[in-house]
Amino acid sequence: MGDFDIILQALGQVLSFTNIAVILGGLLLGIIVGCIPGLSVTLGIILLLPLTYGFSSPDTAIISLLAVYIGGMYGGSISAILLNSPGTNSAIATTFDGYPLAQQGKVKKVLDISLFASVFGGMFSAILLLLFSSLITKLVSSFASTEYFALAILGISLLAGVSGDSLPKGIISGLLGIFIACIGADAVTGVLRFTFDSRTLRYGIDMLPAMIAFIALTQVVLKLRDFIVHKGEIQDITKIDNEGLTATEAKSIVPACLRSSTIASIIGAMPGVGGGVAQFMCYNEARRASKRPQDFGKGSYEGVAAAESSNNAVVGSAMIPLLTLGIPGDGVTALLLGAFILHGIQPGPTMFTKQGVVAYSIILGTLIANVALIAVGLIFTRAVAKIVQVKYTYLAPIIILFCFAGAFAATGNTKELIITAGLLVVSYLFVILDFSVVPLMLGMILADIMEMNFVTSMMSYDNDIFIFFKRPITACILVLTVILLISLMKLNKRINALNDAQVAEMAQRDLEEAVEVEEAIEDGKFEAP
Amino acid sequence: MKIKTNLWTGIIMGLFSLLLLIMLPEQVKLPAYDSGAPSPRILPSFALIGMLISSVILIFQSLVLKKEKIYEFDMKYELPAIIVIAMLCVFTALIINVGYVAAAFIVFPIMLFYAGERKPFAYILTLVAAIAIFYMFRSVLNISLPAFPGFGG
Repeated sequence: MGDFDIILQALGQVLSFTNIAVILGGLLLGIIVGCIPGLSVTLGIILLLPLTYGFSSPDTAIISLLAVYIGGMYGGSISAILLNSPGTNSAIATTFDGYPLAQQGKVKKVLDISLFASVFGGMFSAILLLLFSSLITKLVSSFASTEYFALAILGISLLAGVSGDSLPKGIISGLLGIFIACIGADAVTGVLRFTFDSRTLRYGIDMLPAMIAFIALTQVVLKLRDFIVHKGEIQDITKIDNEGLTATEAKSIVPACLRSSTIASIIGAMPGVGGGVAQFMCYNEARRASKRPQDFGKGSYEGVAAAESSNNAVVGSAMIPLLTLGIPGDGVTALLLGAFILHGIQPGPTMFTKQGVVAYSIILGTLIANVALIAVGLIFTRAVAKIVQVKYTYLAPIIILFCFAGAFAATGNTKELIITAGLLVVSYLFVILDFSVVPLMLGMILADIMEMNFVTSMMSYDNDIFIFFKRPITACILVLTVILLISLMKLNKRINALNDAQVAEMAQRDLEEAVEVEEAIEDGKFEAP
Repeated sequence: MKIKTNLWTGIIMGLFSLLLLIMLPEQVKLPAYDSGAPSPRILPSFALIGMLISSVILIFQSLVLKKEKIYEFDMKYELPAIIVIAMLCVFTALIINVGYVAAAFIVFPIMLFYAGERKPFAYILTLVAAIAIFYMFRSVLNISLPAFPGFGG
């Protein structure tokens, strides 16, 4: 069966009533978790993951999680615009122009710009994903176990290198993840490893309770801590007016969307970089290319469009290395890789040959979810915006209840609950030690792939450890790992410096404006509020 | 209290990996017969040795290069997080012993009260959610969460 036939078959599958319903539901959940500051897309994915066990086909499960990812990227902009508080890290640049525009009373217009740009960026990268995935997999179809082992090393190294400020901490985190995955019975020899004669550890530590403890529950606990410390103060929301985006205005932001989508797609496809980096590069590029650069930071339509199209463009392009090579592009795709494995899908070159329909269903699902985002965004944004103001004491218990039920659902054994509680304590210790858990999760997810391919390579090549340097492609991947790691760390440092400068510039401008207002009040030009 | 995160991560993870390396021969026995497969000790050894080396580098960075990241640990600020985590540990123990719904009925009203919530609606919403999630997992996902002894589940 040719690619075109597979795509047609996948299209029929994606357009089923169930898939459309899960896309709409996933988008809505994503927008909600994305717009609440302190919650994140990862939390949305983890909350939905146990429920996807009930779906009949694995592609439906993955599509629903991707819809949460896409919705969450747009949702992050809602609180950035209404509260000046980005719902997700990828929406920081949206606050620079989104909030000033909202203060000028153009709330509906700026929300429409955000939606338009998000859909534009998302569709742009989804089309790239559709066009390039099959091509890349054909190039790497001759990969053997040694190459897969090298790819797993590449994936872990890159995320460990770019997560957080410290490389040694990133490496420790990734290796700790590998070690945790080793606990329990060894898949090849059946030998028990580090179980300490405990029945709870005998069957190892499952991925889902670990994800729930390290990411979801930790987020909820920290947000609840802040709520209690600040006595549950709720920020005032900016009211939404009725004047939306006009066709002329939409046309005027297309070049900024196109430029940002292109840059973000390239950055997103690089493993280990992600949306947080892309938004600032795109924002600066949009300002450089704009006819009105002086408006940036004060309320530029192009500024909002650049930031929003970039973070949604990253979603599709981060899927390219995940689907074709089995390497996640960022923390969210690392979780998605875990979800793939939990649903019995092995991303990588063989996915397009062995599970072609599933692969294309996922890609087309991404495309359709971006189209559906227009409708969901237009209908629900106003209602979802009100959720930003819901007291956290209403949300936190429900999220915690879901988390514990989800952890139990991993195997249906109460040992998962004990492991979840234990890992939550460890996770809090990591927060204090300023220790990123993203490489740890990736280490856990990739450990099995690494070990299985290492064992296969060793058995196929008479336990010759140097085989990884004798096979040219494997050696190239390992050398590339070192080169990419060094260059990405340098790039990350430069981007962080750029981000800090940008944020400092905005803060300075706000301060100057405040001083001007104060002076005007002192001079008697304005009355104090 | 100022916590030197690089130094303490190095010390804690260094000791942790060293201890586990010492315990490795005891905790990972070699297979009774040789199947030709590499030793099951390889991957954990690789992970633990890598952790130990990185820990030493962190300690060196902190003490010699003076490269450090400080975490301001304010007990007043952190106490709510510690109490919430302790409540969740109690919640876990209660789920196993008295079931999911009963554990939620015991722990969450205390947690909400501690968080300063006084509106009855928040309490009712949480308890209804516990029952709804229990039945949703049972009927939709066919997963029976632990129930009160003698009440199914």
